Amino acid sequence: MKKIKIFFSAILFSIISTFALADFDWKKYSGETIVFAYDIHPYVDALVEKLPEFEALTGIKVDAQIFPDDVYWNKLNLEITTDSGAWDVAGTGVQPTWDTSVGNHNVDLSKFLNDPSMTSPDYNYNDIYPSLRSAMTWDVKGEEVVGNGKGVWGLPHSFENMNLMYRNDILGKHNIKPPKTLPELTATCKKLKQVEPGITPMALRGVNFWSSVHTAPASIAKSYGVVDYVMKDGKISDTGLDSKASIKFHKDYVAMVQECAAKSWPNDNWYQVVDALTSGNAAMAVDANMFGFWNNIKDPDGKNPSGKISFAPPPTAPGAKNFESNIWIWCITMPSASKKKGPAWYFMQWATSQKMVLDGAMMGKMVNPIRKSTWESDDWKKYANQPEFNNYYDTFIEVQDRAALFFTPRYGFGEAMNAWSVAMQEMVNGRPVEETLKELAGSIRAGI
Amino acid sequence: MNQSKENSLKNFLILPSVLVLLCFLFVFFYGVYLSFTDLKLGKPTVNFSGFKNYIYLWKNPLFWKSTKLTIYFTLVSVVTQAFIGVLLAKLFSTKVFCAKIFRPIILLPLVLPPMSVALMWTTMMNPERGVLNYFLSLIGIEPFMWISQYSTAMLSVIFIDVWTYTPFFTLIIYAGLLGVNQEIKEAAQEAGAGAWITFWKIELPFMMPYVLIAAVFRIIESFNQFDIFIGTTGGGPAKATTVYSIYGYIQSFQNLNFGRGTAILFVNWWLVLIGALITIKLYQMARKRVS
Repeated sequence: MKKIKIFFSAILFSIISTFALADFDWKKYSGETIVFAYDIHPYVDALVEKLPEFEALTGIKVDAQIFPDDVYWNKLNLEITTDSGAWDVAGTGVQPTWDTSVGNHNVDLSKFLNDPSMTSPDYNYNDIYPSLRSAMTWDVKGEEVVGNGKGVWGLPHSFENMNLMYRNDILGKHNIKPPKTLPELTATCKKLKQVEPGITPMALRGVNFWSSVHTAPASIAKSYGVVDYVMKDGKISDTGLDSKASIKFHKDYVAMVQECAAKSWPNDNWYQVVDALTSGNAAMAVDANMFGFWNNIKDPDGKNPSGKISFAPPPTAPGAKNFESNIWIWCITMPSASKKKGPAWYFMQWATSQKMVLDGAMMGKMVNPIRKSTWESDDWKKYANQPEFNNYYDTFIEVQDRAALFFTPRYGFGEAMNAWSVAMQEMVNGRPVEETLKELAGSIRAGI
Repeated sequence: MNQSKENSLKNFLILPSVLVLLCFLFVFFYGVYLSFTDLKLGKPTVNFSGFKNYIYLWKNPLFWKSTKLTIYFTLVSVVTQAFIGVLLAKLFSTKVFCAKIFRPIILLPLVLPPMSVALMWTTMMNPERGVLNYFLSLIGIEPFMWISQYSTAMLSVIFIDVWTYTPFFTLIIYAGLLGVNQEIKEAAQEAGAGAWITFWKIELPFMMPYVLIAAVFRIIESFNQFDIFIGTTGGGPAKATTVYSIYGYIQSFQNLNFGRGTAILFVNWWLVLIGALITIKLYQMARKRVS
């Protein structure tokens, strides 16, 4: 009897699934309008260009509101934590979402992912790289963020690993090889200043905001053995930013900034880094690898330095076994205050679908793609291995093996990492490294 | 009956401004209340924490540094604007040719949005590619670091503030200068007083009430100056320009520590109040002297 019941249940389930597959209703929320907010970025340019396709598919209109980076992050914090309801979908990152998910200001998307009536059967969430999915998955317990959980707080949209990007026309002209260690990088800058006095050796972010520490500093620091927090019994027990390894790293890094960076370094954000590398006003940058990719794209006006930007793994500590790379994952999240959760989810799954991720990558904008299927597709491989992109593809694969999130999940990420960026400015300005790091660590410890 | 109706009408007409005042007072006192809580944006619970935020600030070296920077910025900016404002007002009152050209142009900085001003100057002050250093190089002066170096950032922001708001002083002082009794000036000149003595002993004392009334507005705005700081240095480099408005903003919206941010801004409010009251007192003394 039991076997008969199981048999008929399986038949019933197959019938229901078939109908579900056949009947996923993309037009369920036709006529609705949602607000989508993001940072000025090529990732969102790709989505905005494809919005007519989404609107034709679903009948949902999207009001895209795009803001400069300098104001977007504070606006994001405010909109989400005050539950204003003004935005239905917002671009964010892993770390800022630690701060906003506490208090249930973001929707746990697992309920949508597990609902076949809300998620298209060809969405294939597991096609997104496991490390990217797990980075956006944690539990909120009380007022704490607990990693390795089950809550899904955003969908990865596109992501970056950190490379050393260099102008092969400038370095090649003087037979300079890309440096492998941080001290070598400083020495390379000295040489460049002698042979090319009109340019800045390195384009580097320096603004007093966490966005300037999560690229080059976090990646290189890891190779020195620096950690942001020390864990004990699965809980944060201390900060590692004043450890011996951290002092060593900061002494080398500060020396590099003083030698290599532009004089405007304290005010430079990623827009200035991209601009300097593209224009040839800087010879190198350690930053998100897609900066180099975008600027290698052949454009009809010939303004891009197509083919002139090459890639290498980030510099390391002297004698380090491996290079390291932080990752920055752009995600899209749903504020809990949104009154249009259904249409918002439809937009989110479309924006991160297999088709959109491949289309966005082939447009040269949503790079690096988040899905395994994209990286395995012949179209993408052929496109990304074109001569003008030099060694972008191979370097991505090489670096991705070592790429991991540097930061420890924790509410208060913004406060601690903003303080680190300010401390970096103080050290570059001449304040003793040990004294500055001791003060920084003290302020972070007070908040643990 | 008519008097009663008239009173009712008067009360009705001032009702909107009373409502606005009540809204302002509510928001203000709610903000003061928040400064006594541990409110952090994102966290679900808010607890009354007494003077904890203020004790934290009292013990925090950055708070005292920010206090010095805020007072320094306000004093230097306002005094410089007043000084240049007096000179320009005097120039406008003459028949010198360039006065005719400057008079309409002087308003331009004031009509620009402050954030546009900040972004414009940030570009011009780029130490490597900015146009200001280019002009300096034409006359053999070494590149200046402007907003990119700890030692020069605050002076550069003051420079921008002076450029933007000196016209405000100039217009008010010029209006005052036009009201100087010409007979007194003519009598002084007939008695043998030169141009400098006439200016120093007659015109300047008459201008002082106008200088001080403009100073009241500028002191209030300078203590609250935010746009120019956030658009240029963001409080850096290395906290060189972290005045109260920026300190409070960073604590509230970047660090999500809203309770502490409002505590900083409440302290700032006290500075504004004290500064304005002192200047109003000086204004009253100047007025009395002139009358």
